Amino acid sequence: MTRPVYIAGSGLLCARGDSPAKVSQALWAGESTSRKRQLGEREFPYFSLPLSEADWLTRAELAVTRVAAQLGPLATETPLFLASSSFQIGHFEEQGAPFELPIATASFSRRIAEWMQLSGPRYSFSNACISGFSAIDAARSLIAAGQIDAAIVVGIELANRSTLAGFAAMELLSRTHCQPFDAKRDGLVLGEAVAAVHLSANPATWRITGLRTGLDAYSTTGPDPQGGPIAKVAVDCIKEAKINPADIELVKLQAAGSPGTDLAEANALRQIFGNTLPPLLSLKPYLGHTLGASGIAELATLLACLTLDQIPATAGFKKVDPEIALFPMVDRSNAHIQRALLNLIGFGGGLASMIIERRT
Amino acid sequence: MIFLNAVLSQQHAPEKLPAAVRTALGKQLRRAATLTQLALVGALACLPKERRHLPTALLWQSTSGPRLETLTLLEEVCHGSAEPMPYDFLASQPAIAAAQIQPFLPGLQSATHFPLDSEGEANWSLLLTLASNWLNEGRYAQVLCAHLDSWANSANAHWLALSSTALENAQANLHIRTMNYSDALPDTPDFPAALAHWLKQPSGRPLHLQSSTTLRLAVEFAQI
Repeated sequence: MTRPVYIAGSGLLCARGDSPAKVSQALWAGESTSRKRQLGEREFPYFSLPLSEADWLTRAELAVTRVAAQLGPLATETPLFLASSSFQIGHFEEQGAPFELPIATASFSRRIAEWMQLSGPRYSFSNACISGFSAIDAARSLIAAGQIDAAIVVGIELANRSTLAGFAAMELLSRTHCQPFDAKRDGLVLGEAVAAVHLSANPATWRITGLRTGLDAYSTTGPDPQGGPIAKVAVDCIKEAKINPADIELVKLQAAGSPGTDLAEANALRQIFGNTLPPLLSLKPYLGHTLGASGIAELATLLACLTLDQIPATAGFKKVDPEIALFPMVDRSNAHIQRALLNLIGFGGGLASMIIERRT
Repeated sequence: MIFLNAVLSQQHAPEKLPAAVRTALGKQLRRAATLTQLALVGALACLPKERRHLPTALLWQSTSGPRLETLTLLEEVCHGSAEPMPYDFLASQPAIAAAQIQPFLPGLQSATHFPLDSEGEANWSLLLTLASNWLNEGRYAQVLCAHLDSWANSANAHWLALSSTALENAQANLHIRTMNYSDALPDTPDFPAALAHWLKQPSGRPLHLQSSTTLRLAVEFAQI
C-alpha cells in the first residue's frame, strides 16, 4: 500500500513571530533584525524567540504549548515525531554542576509530549540540521504505507551556550549578519525555533511528493565543495516525485551564509538544473539557522508564504560571489508556486531534500 | 519479502573498544567518539566485504546517547575558562558518526539517529518498519538497524541486518502487521538477543515484536 501524504496544518514560533501567518507577513515586510548573544569576550548575532521568561524549562513549555495551540484539536494518540539537535541541554547548563543528565538521552521528548497533551507513540530524531526532514521522512513513510494515518512532527531548538560555543570554537559563526550566497558572507547566524507540521493521509492543499536523505562524508564539518552528494540527493528526490528538474518553480536553499557550504550548494544546483535555475530563496536571514528545528521551521514558513503567494526576497544578499555566480531572489514575488524543492545540508554530513506540491 | 541476514550483540569494555576498531579496520580511527567506534565495529561485523558497497541505510537508536562527551562539553562550557575544544563539541554530536563510518562502508547512503526517551524501552519496531518500507520501495539494498549505548563502564551494541534478498545465511523473514498480538515481545534495547535465542530453537510459530505505545503495529518474524 502506498498513498499520498499531505501537510494538514502547521505551527511556528520563531524570531519573526508566533504563527506561520505572522512570520510570513514579517518576511513579506522584510523584517530581518536579530539580537545579540554574548560568549565570553565575543558577541554574536542571534535570532531569539520573542519570549521574556528567564527559566529555561518554563520558556520551553510556553514555546511548545503556543505551537501546539496553533495545530488545533489533535487526537491524543496521534504519533509524535520530534526533531532536535540539542534537546534540553540549555536546562542542564542552567542547573549547573553536578550535571544530572537523565539515563535516557531524549527524556525531554516525554515532557514535550505531555505539554502537547499527546499520549501516543513518541519518536525522537537527532541528525543535526537535517533532523526535521529525517522525522518527516519517517512519519511520511508510515502514513504512506497505511501503518498510521496522521502524525505530528515537531522541530525544537532552544537557546543554549553549548551549541553557540561549539560553533564559535570552530569559527563557523558570523559576527555580522547572515548573507546567503553573498561575496562577503562570513558564517552562519544561529537562532531558536519551535515548529510543527501535522501530516495526514487526508487530502490538504500541500502534498509531500518527494523526500530523500543522504550523506556527504567529505568532512564532518562541511560538504564536498563540488556539491556532488548534495546534487545526488536532490536528483533522487526529484525522481521520487516523478517530475523533471524544470518542473521545480522555487528552491528553498540551505544557504546559511557559510563560505564553504553555500559554495557546495551552488555547485550542486548547477548540476541539478544546468543553466536554467528556478528562483532561489534563503529563509535563514530572517529566522537564523535553527539547526534541528530548521527543516520544520522553514517548511512551515515557506508554506505560509506560498499559500499567500507572497514570496519574500532573500535578505542579506548584496553582491554576487564570482565563485558561486548565482543570485538568490532579491525582489519579493507574488508568483503562484505549484511545486518547490527544499534543501537541507547538515553539520556532520547529513543531507536532505523535499518536494512539496500544491494540490489543484 | 524482507530477510533478516544478521543478528548480532556485542559488549565491549570502553578501554578495549579502540583495539576492536583496530582489529576491524587494520588501523586506528582517529578522533572518533565511542558511539562512532561502536557503530563501525558492529556495522562491519554485520556486513561481509562484498556487500559493503551496496546502497545501505543505517538506523540507530541509543538510550545513553553521547553521554560522556556531553558531560565533558558541559564542563567546558559552564566551568571552563575558554571555549570548548572543537573535537569535544563534535564528539557530542551523534550525527557526525555516519561521515566517519562511510569511508569504510562506501555504500552507506543515509544514517538516522533516534535518541530514546525512556530507560529500558526501544524503537526497534519503528526501525524495522521503516527498513521494511524502504527495502520494499527499492530505496536501499540493505538496512542496518542498531541499538548502541556508551556508558562509563560498558559499550553495548545490538544489530539487525535486513535486505530484500535472502543471503545464504538468512535466518528469518519479516512482515509488518497492523494488528495487536497478546504474546508479542516488548520493544526493549536487547530485543535482538531474544530474537537470537528464538532463532536457535526450531519453531513453527512466528515471533512478534510490538511496542507498548504503538497501537496496531507489529513486526512478525518467521524462521526460514
